[in-house]
This record gives sequence, structure tokens and C-alpha cells, in this order.
Amino acid sequence: MKTRCLVIGYGNPLRGDDGFGWAVADRLSEEFAGDESVRVLAAHQLTPEFAEPMSEAEQVILVDVSRDGEPGTWRVTEVVPAAEGPALGHQFEACGLLAAAREIYSACPPTLLVSAVAESFDCQETLTSCIEAIVPDVVRDIRNRIDAAKPDYSHA
Amino acid sequence: MPRQILIDPVTRIEGHSKITIDLDDAGSVQSAAFHVTQFRGFEKFCEGRPFSEMPALTGRTCGICPVSHLIASAKACDALLALEIPPVSAKLRRIMNLAQIVQSHALSFFHLSSPDLLFGMDGDPATRNIIGVAQNHPSLAKDGIALRKFGQQIIELLGGRRIHPSWVVPGGVNVPLTREQREGMLAMIPSAMDIATRTLSWFKGVLGNFKEEVDVFGNFPSMFLGLISRGPDGEALLEHYDGKLRFMDAAGNIVADDIDSADYPKYIAEAVEESSYLKSPYYRSAGYPAGIYRVGPLARLNIIDRCGTPIADAELEEYRATCGRYVLSSFQQHYARLIEIVYGIERIEQLLNEPDILDANVHAIAKPSRFEGIGVSEAPRGILMHHYKIDENGLITWVNMIIATGHNNLAMNESVKQVAKHYVRGDSLREGVLNRVEAVIRSYDPCLSCSTHAIGHMPLHIQLRDPAGGVLDEIRR
Repeated sequence: MKTRCLVIGYGNPLRGDDGFGWAVADRLSEEFAGDESVRVLAAHQLTPEFAEPMSEAEQVILVDVSRDGEPGTWRVTEVVPAAEGPALGHQFEACGLLAAAREIYSACPPTLLVSAVAESFDCQETLTSCIEAIVPDVVRDIRNRIDAAKPDYSHA
Repeated sequence: MPRQILIDPVTRIEGHSKITIDLDDAGSVQSAAFHVTQFRGFEKFCEGRPFSEMPALTGRTCGICPVSHLIASAKACDALLALEIPPVSAKLRRIMNLAQIVQSHALSFFHLSSPDLLFGMDGDPATRNIIGVAQNHPSLAKDGIALRKFGQQIIELLGGRRIHPSWVVPGGVNVPLTREQREGMLAMIPSAMDIATRTLSWFKGVLGNFKEEVDVFGNFPSMFLGLISRGPDGEALLEHYDGKLRFMDAAGNIVADDIDSADYPKYIAEAVEESSYLKSPYYRSAGYPAGIYRVGPLARLNIIDRCGTPIADAELEEYRATCGRYVLSSFQQHYARLIEIVYGIERIEQLLNEPDILDANVHAIAKPSRFEGIGVSEAPRGILMHHYKIDENGLITWVNMIIATGHNNLAMNESVKQVAKHYVRGDSLREGVLNRVEAVIRSYDPCLSCSTHAIGHMPLHIQLRDPAGGVLDEIRR
């Protein structure tokens, strides 16, 4: 079965709000338990091997945090595949990973990046209250996006 | 007028660092140093924690090679418990360690270093990256992902997850291997081996294009350190999990041999430089910095007589015929890394076929019986040492971790200096020069997350400075 949607929440859950992606992934895993067409992963960083499952998905949603903006706000942006320069560590950026999926597997699914603005990256395993508060909203938004893309078989 | 070239930070390595190159009055390179500019302090904040938490805590040192820390830490805890783990547990830990080495080596070779090998050191930086590899050599990029996936899947099958598995515990492992898991892993072996041997063939074909780099990329005499085990005739075999320490000099003379891991402090001392958070271990009796040694794939292949598996041994023979019996050029870390991938796949298959590999007795239980424990294993980048002291309540009172990248610190400095001396002239920087300086560091595949733990995605910033700190030339990307 082709993956209807692949969600990857990424960050370091030991560094405070950097665990946002994991928190969202955990909630979505529960919501879509038993639905094999939705795949939810949590990871510390985007690494090259994610290009393969991305290439096999009809839609990809990445969940991360950033430093730029008002803490506790979040936004959804479209990821455009783009080659990264030589400044490439063990991890990929979202655009580079999508470019890798396109170049290696000839598949470039629509990909969104859900990015929340973090308040703290201190060494702790909990989110700050302002980030914790937006987890339900983000989960609902992603669920709606997945459901909206669900094939309609009612007239089949 | 003496001047300084600053490369800050170095890209395509894990963590944060910079390189400084000091020029003399004539504009020639006088000295060079690799600085690690981030600090994390695992050794301090583990103090006060129960020793049993150490594998899980120290595994968080790195998202790339957590298994290596997990294994060295569990071994240190085994020593605190003064127990011998069940034999099958040692085999299962060994499989996970080899899977980690295969996937890490694959990341290093295919995704970080292959752009330099495919497009040349003077290649356009816009395409000299993994996307460029994917566009121009998609099968190679796909092979890299598949080989990394092979290692990750074995780790996941054994440990339940790819990153930070908690399956390795003091006393052994916490779940035995199932028949289905074993069959699943064995089924992946043939395609992984095809990729490994195919890549080796390709690398051997292009190696001749890099004669200059082979000559000047960290090509200097030093000692080498690694673990060895003994074969049936007493020969030294490639070893990644257990065994004894061996120091060898550049001419192949055994400097110290069959050293119990617990005795490492008698042989290794650590220096600290003001300019870096990365420690500088050295061979104690030779003094600092004369006691420079290297660890990792190159060192491991230098110190052994043979690998101990048939295909890797044949490749080792060819490697030595091509490069010499004792290989001093750090450029050949790439070659050594590929041979270790072959070895890892072969050895995993051997271990999976051992008759007792499905034994259910995988965990020994004991109370702490010692106040000090040392665990040593080979990580992808070289030997890894965890050393703990605990109080009567089992709480950690002192920690020392010597990471592969730390062992290689002096050698990386020497390598940067050699490359800079050869390529840097005058007071301006060319992309190819920059990349060669970076590439020699990358040949060690340093993991600064492990050695200091810094996390982040690095831009590139190079400055050429005069003695007063004025910028003579600058590159950003």
C-alpha cells in the first residue's frame, strides 16, 4: 500500500522545545494507529535514508521548531526541493532531503514544513508551556490536512 | 608579516569547529590547528546519577553513533558489576556494533566524502554535494542509502528503534534474538554485500586520480592504536567489541601489546589546549605532543595481521599490495572504511549463523562489586573508552570518556598542517584549497557531537587574518 501521508517529527527531545516534533509525532501516532496508509516517524534529525520513504508517500509533512519569530507561534510552509551547498553535515535540511528524493527516486511529493517557534532549548525533556499549548492545534491541523487528502470512495 | 587563515566552521563533519592556519612573514604556512569550539560536559553532568543510567545517558552524546556509546558504557557497567555477561549477549552486542559501524561508514563515505571523490577537490561547490551525486550518479547515492538502511534496520530489529535503542543493558541485553529477526537480517546480507563490493571496486578504480591527496593528506609517521583479538595461530585479528589494546609505530613495530582495556590510563595521558574543547590524548611514555597516535579504520587495518573473514581478507591483501603494509596516509581512511564495511557484513552473517545465537539467556544480574569500571569498544571512528567511578550507593562520582575523535586530535592537527603547507600560498584562499583542508579533516570522519557534543548545521566561514586580527581575505557559503 502506498503511504498516503508520511509525517516526520524531528528534533532533540532532551533539549526542551526541540522535542516539539516528537510530541506531535507521538500524538499523531496514536490518532492514526491502525491506519497503515499514514506513517508517522520521530527522528533526531533528517538523514539521507528518509529520502526513500518520502519518495513512497503521496504527501509529506515535516514538523520542526525554529528560533525565528514569536515563541509559541507556528506556521506551515511548502518545501521546495533545492540542493544544499557543501555545508552539509550528517543531517539534511528539508529542501535538500526532498531534492534527494527527487533525484534518487524520481519522486517529489508535495511536502509541507510545520515549524513552531521555540522558547527554550535548555536541557530538559519537557516542552515550555507556550509550545506545549500549541501541540493540540498543530495535531488537529495536520490531521485535517491528511483527511482532506483522503481519497473519496463514496461514489465508487 | 605573519598572518593567519581561519576556516570557521568546518563543514560536513558532525559538530562545530574551526581551522586556523598561521602564515609566516614569507606567506608560507607555519602552523595549523583544528579547534573545537563547543562544549557540552557530559563527564560532569553525569556525576550523581545512578550508574545503571549511564548507557542511556551517554548514548545521548550523539545521534549518529549512539550504539557505540551504549556498548562502551554497558561494558563499563559490566565491570562495575564484576560479572561476565552470557556469551550470546556478547555476540548480539557485537552484531549491533558492527551494524552501527556499517551504517556510519556508509554515511561518511557515500554522503560526505563521495562528492569530493566524484567531482574532484576543485569541483563546483554548488554540485559537490550529495544532491550532485544523486543527479549525476544516482545509483551510487541509492547504494549509500541502502547500505545505511541495512545497518539501521539491524539496529532497529535488535534494539527496537534506530536511534538510542535501550536494548543493550549492564549485564547483557534485555531481549533475546528471535528466529524471525535472524531470518530478516540474513535476508538483507546479499544485497548489502553486493553494494559494499561494488563500491570498493569503484573506489579502487578512482584511487589513482588522487595521488597528490594520498601523498599529502595526513601522510606522516605516527603510532596507531586499536583493539585486536587473536586467531587460532595467535595472529592479530580485526576486533571491534572486545579484545586487547595494541600500539604500533609507523614502521610496524609493536610498541605495546595485549594491554587489558582497564589498564589504558597507564598508557594514555590527556592534554588540554586553551584553543579547543577537544582533549588531546597521547601515548604517555612518549610525552606530549610526541606521543601522537591515530585510531579508526586506517589504524585498525595497520595493527592487525588479517581481518578474519574471507572477502575482507582478500580485500586487505589487495589494499596492502596497493598502499603498502603499513599505510600512513589518512586519505586511505576511505579505502579502509570500505573494507571494514565488507568485514562488518561478513561478520554479522557469521554471528547470525552461530548455533547459540537464539539462546534466551541474555542477561546476567548482579549488584555493584567494584567502585571503578572501564568499558572499551571500537566505534566507527576509532577506539572509545568509558571510565566510571561510583560510590557505595552506586552513584556516579567521576566519569572520563575518551572518544575516537579525541584520540585523533593531534593527528588531525598534523594533517591540517601538512595539507596547508602543500596547498596554501599567499594571502588569499581558493575553494579547492579550502576543500582540501576540510577534506583531510573529513577523512577522519570526526564526530564533534561525541567529543564535545555540539549540535547544529554549519555554514562555512573562512577568514584570512593578519597578526592584529585584521581580515585579509574571507569566504562564506
